Amino acid sequence: MVHFTAEEKAAVISLWARVNVELVGGEVLGRLLVVYPWTQRFFDNFGNLSSESAIMGNPKVKAHGKKVLTSFGNAIKHMDDLKDTFAELSELHCDKLHVDPENFKLLGNMILIVLATHFSKEFTPQTQAAWQKLTTAVANALAHKYH
Amino acid sequence: MLSAQERAQVAQVWDLIAGHEAAFGAELLLRLFTVYPSTKTYFPHLGSCADKAQLLSHGRRMLEAVGVAVQHLDNLRAALRPLADLHAQVLRVDPSNFPLLIQCFQVVLASHLQDEFTVEMQAAWDKFLTGVAVVLTEKYR
Repeated sequence: MVHFTAEEKAAVISLWARVNVELVGGEVLGRLLVVYPWTQRFFDNFGNLSSESAIMGNPKVKAHGKKVLTSFGNAIKHMDDLKDTFAELSELHCDKLHVDPENFKLLGNMILIVLATHFSKEFTPQTQAAWQKLTTAVANALAHKYH
Repeated sequence: MLSAQERAQVAQVWDLIAGHEAAFGAELLLRLFTVYPSTKTYFPHLGSCADKAQLLSHGRRMLEAVGVAVQHLDNLRAALRPLADLHAQVLRVDPSNFPLLIQCFQVVLASHLQDEFTVEMQAAWDKFLTGVAVVLTEKYR
């Protein structure tokens, strides 16, 4: 079980309260699909992903990004219990979605970069470290049930 | 490797960094050491907690090398040969660390440029920095 200090939890929770989940979620997933185009392999049915603007404006990308980031919000409510919280989602990503866990790391890194664009100087090295710890822990929790 | 458009993006971002290599480099290193403490093992001479002057000095050197890479996008191997030799023979930084540095670089750019750090810029810089890392570790064996 990953232990988050009080400061780390505070850094995560206080920033999260100011995140527009719909906006940021769409941006995170959009950027993932543009910067690492091979990740598009999971989204054949999303329609037009032929250009950066098509991807960033794609309504399915935005909707799915919101869904993914909303799930992150759940992680933040259960930072002491991530493996159990994500057990079902882990099985889903392995058995049904067949997603290489490496992608969880890529998405996590993308969340940090988008947060940095929004929060600028407030996204201090310490804040970055706390968020990195969270995204790494979520990635590990999502990979935990793989077999 | 980089398209004409990607090169333009790289040059555009570099214009914002040029002249501020020390400050950007220091922030890059501070984030690297804070977020990925294991990377400090490559800088024992900086002590357990590097001071501002050391971060600025080493940060500037690293960013100046990035600047050299930006000026020689057509021939990274030749331009970075001395650095590639240094990394292969002396520094021997495990290749897994370069993505960590690249991630921190992106965060520095993102926090400074904010909305101006467009997805195209991010894609171009990620590709560019990854290319630099490949050249720097190519001679390892």
